[in-house]
Amino acid sequence: MAKATTVLDRIALLGRAGLDVLAAMGRSVVFLFLAIAGRASFGNRLQLLMQQLYSVGVLSLAIIVVSGVFIGMVLALQGYSILSDYGSEQAVGQMVALTLLRELGPVVTALLFAGRAGSALTAEIGNMKSTEQLSSLEMIGVDPLKYVIAPRLWAGFISMPLLACIFSVVGIWGGSMVAVEWLGVFEGSFWSNMQNSVDFYDDVLNGVIKSVVFAVVVTWIAVFQGYDCEPTSEGISRATTRTVVHASLAVLGLDFILTALMFGDY
Amino acid sequence: MKTRTLEISVGLFLLAGVLALVLLALRVSGLTVASTQDTYRVYAYFDNISGLAARAKVTMAGVTIGKVVAIDLDRDSYMGRVAMDIQGEVNNLPLDSTASILTAGLLGEKYIGISVGGDEELIADGDTIRDTQSALVLEELIGKFLLNSVNKDE
Amino acid sequence: MATDARNAVELKGVSFRRGERFIFNNVDIAIPRGKVTGIMGPSGCGKTTLLRLIGAQLRAESGEIWVDGSNLPSLARTELFDLRKRMGVLFQSGALFTDLSVFENVAFPLRVHTQLPDDMIRDIVLLKLQAVGLRGAIDLMPDELSGGMKRRVALARAIALDPQILLYDEPFVGQDPIAMGVLVRLIRLLNDALGITSIVVSHDLAETASIADYIYVVGDSQVLGHGTPDELMASDNPRIKQFMQGSPDGPVPFHFPANKLADDLLGGVRG
Repeated sequence: MAKATTVLDRIALLGRAGLDVLAAMGRSVVFLFLAIAGRASFGNRLQLLMQQLYSVGVLSLAIIVVSGVFIGMVLALQGYSILSDYGSEQAVGQMVALTLLRELGPVVTALLFAGRAGSALTAEIGNMKSTEQLSSLEMIGVDPLKYVIAPRLWAGFISMPLLACIFSVVGIWGGSMVAVEWLGVFEGSFWSNMQNSVDFYDDVLNGVIKSVVFAVVVTWIAVFQGYDCEPTSEGISRATTRTVVHASLAVLGLDFILTALMFGDY
Repeated sequence: MKTRTLEISVGLFLLAGVLALVLLALRVSGLTVASTQDTYRVYAYFDNISGLAARAKVTMAGVTIGKVVAIDLDRDSYMGRVAMDIQGEVNNLPLDSTASILTAGLLGEKYIGISVGGDEELIADGDTIRDTQSALVLEELIGKFLLNSVNKDE
Repeated sequence: MATDARNAVELKGVSFRRGERFIFNNVDIAIPRGKVTGIMGPSGCGKTTLLRLIGAQLRAESGEIWVDGSNLPSLARTELFDLRKRMGVLFQSGALFTDLSVFENVAFPLRVHTQLPDDMIRDIVLLKLQAVGLRGAIDLMPDELSGGMKRRVALARAIALDPQILLYDEPFVGQDPIAMGVLVRLIRLLNDALGITSIVVSHDLAETASIADYIYVVGDSQVLGHGTPDELMASDNPRIKQFMQGSPDGPVPFHFPANKLADDLLGGVRG
């Protein structure tokens, strides 16, 4: 008898957790809708967006560029050592470019973005909540969803695809440095092999589309976690951790689905 | 003054992002502004297309003149039908040109090479190349070679 | 009109629950126009919840909340934001926008809700800061201010749009005696000079009693009693008496509800 109740308790616990997750998802959808839909009444929206583009985009640039160069260089090194076994070192450009454009550019950018900008967004909004700045905005008659949340969402949506493009470009540049300057792959075949195999629509644009999807998901998670967090210091730190974990898992999971949809048919 | 440096840095960031996309388009994917110019569709039937894929290049004398756009099975003749887009400026291919499936290197990708025929009539949009040479299938080749050597021994 | 015009805020039969627990159960409160009304009660009795109900940041489960002639639960989101322009709130922590200077903080409501030219906004901000005695701090950032000064800047921001109702959330908590004295004087002064309706939510008995014209004591999800400070001091209701005199045990027990101590010590095993 006692055992049966504990099993039932466990099931009830599971059910409650499931309901909590569903409720949070519902709240986050409403949240996104209210933040993005409709027009805001205040006039300096561009200024607000500019401010956020700076803190979300410009401040993430350094880590993106540095990581991009190193990842491109590593790809070229590894690719060279594998491809030279088959005597096709000149394909290293193709390998670096395709890997970056299709996968690593969007994915690594999203992961870095979640760690750098996402956690900062969550902490900042959580802090504004705990110091009652959000309530205060509301009582002044300004919708915090429009004033605080919307510019941050848009800044994330705009920044991440651009960051992913920059990541791929510096990565390919880093790869070409290693392959051409250091390992001595013939420059002409490095680039022509790349250009022959990379398709603008299938590879470049699909990569950008991936990155747009990741941008929406990561920014959404980060901003929502901040807005929905418990307004205490532990609550904020928990929410920040959740942002990084949830956003990273969401990016990796979505990446598989998107890859299967985009590149899976051949 | 503070907002001004902020605006400038944001402007530079946006510019860098767009520039990166343009670089990816032009330098990396080799997209040329003129590449969307007119092409014409040519078909070829092969006994075996083994390993040829859509987007493979079509070359003539080693120069890329087009790409494969679709591959399907022709239900009547049981042959593989390859559709390719040839650049509009290469409009002087004789009708009896040969299309063969070639391999770049021993293990490289498959592509189509076209060698010129002698016909006066030229290939037009929607035409079919009749003279084709299928891909070399390594297993068949080895099989034939073994069979020959066994026959000789007897 | 379903409400008395003499009252700026009126709660009728309001209930609010957090989970299973009633914070308010069928509560009636009327707050007269142009007066300072104190809302007092032990910590955790839902005083801040009450403010949030009046500011419509929380929705009551049932009942009517009339603010300045409109019933909050029936308002749409945009009407609500319009109504809030006529309300000022001083939050417990001040809630200044940390990325804006003192000037921009006070100017914020003006910039958002009016099309006034910049020099006029500057004049108004200077006047409001002068009223709270912080005109000299105009170019500082919030993190350069002391706690008491932050609250005064927040007060200047709350009165920037000349609201009709001012809500104070625990204005005296964590203030040194001087800052507290300054705030007490300011609240009274603003109320009388501007003809504002002030609602002070607090558990600081002496300060609240010294400025409030009328006091509601809430606790146990009910209104325990109301009256002028003197009436309440003289009340023979044991719960009000306990609160007003600050005795540790009484109708509000010292112990949180629990099993008998002996049972807990001996039992160990539960149900």
